[in-house]
This record gives sequence, structure tokens and C-alpha cells, in this order.
Amino acid sequence: MIRPLIFLLLAALSARAAETAVFTLKTMTAQMKYDTPELQASPGQPVKILFENGDDLPHNLVFCQPGTDTAAMALKQMENPEAALKRNWLPDDPRIWAHSKMLNPHEKEEITFTAPEKPGTYPYVCTFPGHALTMRGELKIAPLGGGLEDLHFSLHLGSWKKLPDFSKLTPHREDKVDDNRIQVKLDDYKNEFGVVFTGKLHAPKKGTYRFFLASDDGARILIDGKEVVNDDGIHPASKIKEGALLLEKGDHEFRLEYFQSRGFIELYAAWKGSDFQTTPLSTWLHPQWQVGGRKNSKKDDFAPIPLAVTTEPVIYRNFIQGAGNRGIGVGYPGSVNIAWSAESMNLALIWRGAFIDASKHWNSRGGGHQPPLGYDVLQPTGEVTPAFFVTEKPDAAWPAWEKGKRYEGFEWQGYSLDAKRFPTFRYTWHEASIEESFQVSGDGNKPDGNAKLIRTVKIAGTLPANAWYRIGSGSFESQGDAFVLKAPKTFRITAAGAQLAGQNLVIPAKPGTLTITYQWAQ
Amino acid sequence: MKRLVSLLFALSSSLWAADPTEADFYKITTFETPKETALEVGSIDLLPDGKLVIGTRRGEIWIVSGAGSSDPSSVSYQLFASGLHEVLGIAYNPKDKNIYATTRYEITRLKDVDGDGRADVFDNVNDDWGVSGDYHEYAIGSRFDKAGDLWVTLCLTGSFSSQVPFRGWALRIKPDGTMVPTCSGIRSPGGIGFDADGEVYYCDNQGPWHGACTLQHLVPGSFQGHPGGNVWYDQAPNMGPRPIDPIPEAFQGDRDRKSARPGGDPDRMVLERERIKQLLPPAVYLVHGKIGNSASAIICDLSDGKFGPFAKQLFIADQSHSNLSRVFLETVNGIKQGVVFPFRSGFKSGLIGGRMDEEGRIFTGGSDRGWGARGGKPFCFEKCEWTGKTPFEVHEMRARPDGFEVTFTQPVDPATAGDLKSYSMREFTYAYREQYGGDEIDEIIPKITAVKVADDGKSVRLAISPLTRGHIHELHLDGVKNTDGLPLLHKVGYYTLNEIPK
Repeated sequence: MIRPLIFLLLAALSARAAETAVFTLKTMTAQMKYDTPELQASPGQPVKILFENGDDLPHNLVFCQPGTDTAAMALKQMENPEAALKRNWLPDDPRIWAHSKMLNPHEKEEITFTAPEKPGTYPYVCTFPGHALTMRGELKIAPLGGGLEDLHFSLHLGSWKKLPDFSKLTPHREDKVDDNRIQVKLDDYKNEFGVVFTGKLHAPKKGTYRFFLASDDGARILIDGKEVVNDDGIHPASKIKEGALLLEKGDHEFRLEYFQSRGFIELYAAWKGSDFQTTPLSTWLHPQWQVGGRKNSKKDDFAPIPLAVTTEPVIYRNFIQGAGNRGIGVGYPGSVNIAWSAESMNLALIWRGAFIDASKHWNSRGGGHQPPLGYDVLQPTGEVTPAFFVTEKPDAAWPAWEKGKRYEGFEWQGYSLDAKRFPTFRYTWHEASIEESFQVSGDGNKPDGNAKLIRTVKIAGTLPANAWYRIGSGSFESQGDAFVLKAPKTFRITAAGAQLAGQNLVIPAKPGTLTITYQWAQ
Repeated sequence: MKRLVSLLFALSSSLWAADPTEADFYKITTFETPKETALEVGSIDLLPDGKLVIGTRRGEIWIVSGAGSSDPSSVSYQLFASGLHEVLGIAYNPKDKNIYATTRYEITRLKDVDGDGRADVFDNVNDDWGVSGDYHEYAIGSRFDKAGDLWVTLCLTGSFSSQVPFRGWALRIKPDGTMVPTCSGIRSPGGIGFDADGEVYYCDNQGPWHGACTLQHLVPGSFQGHPGGNVWYDQAPNMGPRPIDPIPEAFQGDRDRKSARPGGDPDRMVLERERIKQLLPPAVYLVHGKIGNSASAIICDLSDGKFGPFAKQLFIADQSHSNLSRVFLETVNGIKQGVVFPFRSGFKSGLIGGRMDEEGRIFTGGSDRGWGARGGKPFCFEKCEWTGKTPFEVHEMRARPDGFEVTFTQPVDPATAGDLKSYSMREFTYAYREQYGGDEIDEIIPKITAVKVADDGKSVRLAISPLTRGHIHELHLDGVKNTDGLPLLHKVGYYTLNEIPK
């Protein structure tokens, strides 16, 4: 009699292991997170993931081998971003064994794979630049544990609001449960009854075991007569309760008490050991059983608040790292971004990709300088320095920023938005009025080398003698009509009248219009 | 048997008639806010046609319609501007019909030139003050004053020092955009506003040189108490010579506060006023932990009775206790002083901005971010209105040469109001010193020697011995009842006696 029973048990479990595990995994809007931080499956189990990108930024879902430093893996792409862009930000890394496409905002994809045979914790992550630190989770692969043996039930009749003391009650009827799975399936009673299940559970080794319970209405689990999890009272089975205890290796007495008042009847029970994943003991499975009932619902402090740029530029005035204390960030459609400084009256930073994360300033007290969220950040002329300078020697050092000091001769006027809400910055320098605006061509997220920032500077009024306008600083090389900076990123600047003077790329400042093009080289 | 029945009736009726609560008189309505943002209200002003303009900590400006309606669901929002660096001051200018925003480092004039409801021109009106990148350097801006000027109060760099120009100052921005340094001595402003005469006040927060939060009168040329910003006097020639520094701490060394010092303690506002001629003491101490912990908006009732019986009084919001308290001010021997009472608690988050409209509706809101707040919500936008029922409250409290005159919103029961046992008083002050905050010290329990109820039953005269110049006089009126036998809604007030009337 014993051998067929074991055979049946294994068959039941392996049949369940072969069932496809189906998960829905979503990205959360403007939080840089997946909604599910943990998934679990059995070794070799078919897995289907419905991946939905509900966010306003592109995201993917990349599964890696246990132990992979996913943040470092994603960051490594920035060593060669052009190549990474061509791969649509999927790292060229042998530790990746399954992945989605890079989903555009509000796209969906269905991913299917066979779970690895080797038990372990397999991290998953979004490898789009800047996302990997927060957008990640774990797929836990573990075999299922053993099930109940010798399961019996006793049915009691009564009307309760809480679990009664069943030991003092006389059962209405008793029987054994053939498939050893807990199930409240009674043909004769729909309301006002209670069931006590008793059976044996085998702990494969000494250790801590977790028990899960969700019931409509009340239930509790006792192991060797000791209550381990309690979900008593009249309620729906919406939440999974859990409890843990230390078990010696061997067989243990399992007891589950349940009562039904009126309405729905649902009962879910499961257990989990250090060597096996959450293993249901009941026929009915709670909708969230595979994620242990956990979802990312609460927005914690310092959760990212990336500002999405869609059809019009987004302006962000705050402390931007590298743009001083009067920085004005502008994220342009086309994934090209700038920070303009109302301190130096100059373009302070250029970058491409995502615009900026406001979480540093929109959480807590709002202190600190926030670096750009995207990549290929370039400070064309150093830290918060003005473009204009009067010098007889244009290779001279330009004025350097002193925190808290204002540059003499400059007055900040403000900015105006055109019909497409592109800003034109306005300021004066001595007797001259300057207006500057920016356009983007190409797509900063594409590797084709066509992404450009075109800067238009209109200078009116009177300029001092020997006035220069600096558009770049560093070790430029002249290549045709362009000036190319090799480090830290290959970068091309073109502008009519530009000339190299030592470390300075300058234009003689005169009334008129300057057009300067900044381009990330391919 | 009949006696027993009537006794039971008397007992039960007193049980049923529960004492009135704040909500019986002042109703709070919480508005839904736009889903796409956290509407962390930082400043509010009124627009024509019953609309409001709200500036937020997230740097957005929203135009709000329908907030005055009795149906809160008729409120609607339109985003006017975004991307500004914290809008902690907002002002509508009826002359040019533009909105002016005080942000971290600039006063910006916003124009909607194409008339699409969104600002498209952002002019720098003035940015003549420094910003070092320290989080503490908040800039709190006013509405337009009666001369057409905007005022801005600038928080220090942290609690103690001023690392860039005019941190720790109140500045005025003239209509032509020029800046006038106006008051020094500011530490951590939480709000700025006007009284019924258009005089300008700000709230400072507990910290160095401030034993408690305070309501302070911004008299041009005055030094408001924190010397950290006085390094900028050389850039403010209109302000005259730099004040001498207050004594940082009288208790260095072994001596503690309990042991008396011959000749008295020098770190008292009342003594330092003799030495530092520009020093202006706080008009009202907003007693720490009892009135609030983080004073913010100043809201004057100019509704001429539509907000109830407190016409021309000031309502002070608090970002920590999420409440409003009520201030009555008077001028004694040439300076402002007065009394603060609790008024209405129960707002949903820490209050920062606030404004009353002509119909007597206070619009307020704020957020709990960075400093904890009562209420349980991360941010809120709410309305506080008079229900039309008059609470039994102290109406005004005035200093007299020998005590106080207290008026009430309703006639008092002469028996309880005329009973000395209905009152008690405690006097204390705070040290004026560099250390953060401070205890209530130098406690005096004066004698209430006489009480006289006025013939009309609307006021009482209390004779107090002694009155102590520079002390906060905490008056309890626990036993006073109105003619219906009801006690006061708020039974304690705190009068800051900078001056004793001659």
C-alpha cells in the first residue's frame, strides 16, 4: 500500500512542476521599479511572463545567472555606449540567459522560457542606462517540497464568528483525503460548518520552515500541536498570512482548522523550506502565492522620480551637479538634454538619454546636487564658467567659478518659451544683450551618430574690445570643419569662425548670430 | 421619586450636551488634488474671479478654480508653470496682471503672452541674493505690500551662519526691480504676511537665538535677533552700522541655570534690547510644543466678519502641528506685542502656505516632507470656513499697567468670570542665546489680585502682581463660563509682554 501512495504523490508533484508558471510583471510609473520584486519557479518548469511597461521610459527585463552584479553589468555598457545602443542596451554578457526586448513606453511582451535546472537565486534587471540600481528583482528556482501524507478531515456543523475549540466538539463525519491535498469541497454543506484537517509532514532536514495561509473565513495551522499561523475571523482570503518555526528532521503532526460562516469558501495553505520553494498543500492557489503575496505597493523615500520628456521640453530648475546653484535643466524631445547656468550665463552641461531624476529634491528636505539621469555627460567649458571673456590672449585661462560669487558684468534676464515651448535664455553682458536657444536633431538614444544639439546665440549691442566667446575647453583636434574632443567622450563641435587657442575653442565675440553644433561622435 | 427623575435628567442632559469642539465652529474641507503631481502647497494668493494661484515645493504653479464653492468636487486645476526651484512665495500683481513667484534664488515674473493659460515668459525681477547649494537656504516671499513692493525673507545657510549675501535677511524688491536690504537677524523664516494695517511680519522657527517659534514685526532697519547674517552690513549701507553682537551664552563654565548670577543673566532679550539698539524683540512667542513647532503662513482676517468674530486678527499656520493658531496684536510703547491662542487643529498635513479670501475662507496646504507633520498625509490642500456659529473664546487680550484686559466673543457668566479661582497665570521667558532652542525659564507665578467683570459682561480686567517685562504671560481661564454655562473653547493664551503700558 505504501509504495503506490508515494508513487502517486510524486506523480502529482511532478505534474504540477511541469505546469507553466505564469506571471504578470509590470513596470511602475515614474518609480524606476518593477511591481514584483520576487518570482519563483521549479527547476526546469516552463515559465511565461507577461511583461508590461506602464512607464514613460523604455525598460527591459533581463535574467542573469546567480551572483551576477547586475548594476555593474549594466554600467559596463557605458564604456562603449555606441555599441550598447546598437544592441538596444542589452549587455553583451554570457551571464544573461533570458531577456525581453527593450520595450518602449506602454508596450507589452510575452516572454517564455524554461526555468534553469539548477536551484538558486537568479537576478533580473532593467539594463537601460541608469535603471539597474533600482529596477531589479529575483527569480528563485527551487524544487517543490513534499506534500501532506495520511491526510484526514473531520467535518463539524455550527455557526461561529471565530474558530471554535474543535477538540470539544463531536464531528458530524470524518474521512480520509485521497489526494492528500487540502480542499473544502463538500456537497452537503455550504454554510456554517468547520473542518479540521490532520496529517503528516516530512521535514527533510532540521531547519526553519515557513507556513502560509489564506482563508475565507477563518483558519489556523498547528504543527505538533503548536500554532504557527493564524488567519482567524470572518473575512475574504485577500491576504496571505505567514509564520515560521524550527522543525527537527522527520515527520511532524500537521493540523489545519477552518470554519465557514456564509458566502465564499476559500482555503490556501503552503509551506517553504530552505531547500525548497513555496509548496502548496491545498488544491486552491491564492492569486499571489508565487510572489508570497508581496507586491511593491508603498513608494518609499528616495524612490526615483525620473522626469519624462515626451512632446515638449521639460524644464527643471534646481541644484544640478556640474551646473552650479542656479542651474536650469532642459530635457528636449529627442533624448538630448542640457543644463544652462543662470550663474555663469552659459551652457553648463550636455547629455543624452534620460533627463533627470527629481527624487533628491522632491523627497525629504530637497538638498544636494542631482547628476543627470542620462549618459555621455559633457561639460563643454568646465565648471560654471562664462562664455564671454575679455582677453588679449584667447588661450588664457577663463574665469573660474567661486561658489557663491557672481560674475561681474552679467545680468540674468530670464527665459521665454516659443510656441513649441522651447526656451530662449536672455541675459546682458556689459552693453550687449544676448539670447540663446537650442534645437535637437536626431535621437540621443540612437547609435547612428546623428544626435546633435544646435545652439543659436544672438548677440546685440556693443561688445568690449578683445571680447571672446568660448564654446569648448579641453584638448581638441581640428578635423575638417569640426573640432573633436577625444576624452572623456568623443565629441564634435562645429561653429563658423571657431578657432583653437590652446585649451580653448573660441570665437571672436561680435554682434550677430553664432551657430554652434555639439555632436556625439559615432 | 420625582427628585430622582429630575436628577437623572440633569445628569443625562449634561452627558448628552458634550462640550463644543473646534469643528463645530470652523469646518475643514480637504480637496482632491491633481493626480499627476504631489501638490505640496508652498504659497497661495488670490486671483480675480475667485480663482487661486498656488506655488508648490515641487516648483509648479497651479491656477485653481472653484475652491470657494460649497461643493468641493467643483474644484479644478490648471498647470500654469513648472520647473521652478521651490515656489514659497506667490503674488498676483493687479497692476500688470502678472504672477510673481519667489523661488530659491530669484523672484520671477510669469507672463502668459499667448493667452493659452500657461506661462511663456519668465522674467528675472530680482536675484540679488546668494545661494550656496545648502538645502536650508529657503526663500519665502510675500504678496505685494501697500507700496507695491515684494518682500523676501532668506533662511540662513544652515542654522548658524550666512555664507552668501543676505542669507538671514529680509529684502524688499521695489516695483522697478531694485533690492533694498530691510531687516537683518532672520534665522529660518516659515512665512511672511501683513496685518490689517499692512504692516509686515514673518514667522521664525525655533533654533539658535530662538527658544521657540516667533511672530516678528519686520520694521525696516531692525535687527530681528540672529546675528549670523550680520556679516553683510557692509553691502547694506542704508541699514546703518552693524549692530553689536548679542552675548552668545551666559552659562559657559561650571555654573548652571539654577544658580543665580549676581546682577542677573545677560542672555535675555529684555536686557540685550538695552544694549543693541537695532534689536527688535519678537512680537509674539508661539510657545514651543504648545502652540506649534514650526510656524509658517501668516493669514490676516480682512473678511469683515465673514470668518467669525476675529476680524483683523492674524492666523498662524504650523508645518509640524498641522494647525492654525490665532494672534491678537497691539502696539505698546511703540512696539508690537500680543497674545496667541490655539485656534483649529486637524489639517491633513504640515501647513506651509495660506491665504484668506474676501469671503472669509482660509485656503491652506502644505506637506510633511523633510520634517514630520501631524495629519497623516504627505501633502494637502484644504479650506477652513466659519460655520456661522460663534465659539466662546477670548476675543482680545490687552496689556494694562497693572494687568490685562480680556474681552470675550460672548457675554460671560458674571459669577464664574468674576471669581479669582477661575483664573491662573504663569510667567516665563526663553534665554536669548546661541544654542538651539531652549527651555521655559525664569518662571514666576504671579498673584491675580483682582478681577472685575465689565457691566456688559463682554470683558474682564485682571490685576496681576507682578507683571514682568520680557516674559510670556500664560493665562488660564479654566473656570470662566458663558451665560449658557459653557466653558471657553480654548482656555489658555500666551501673551508676550515686551512692554508694560505706561
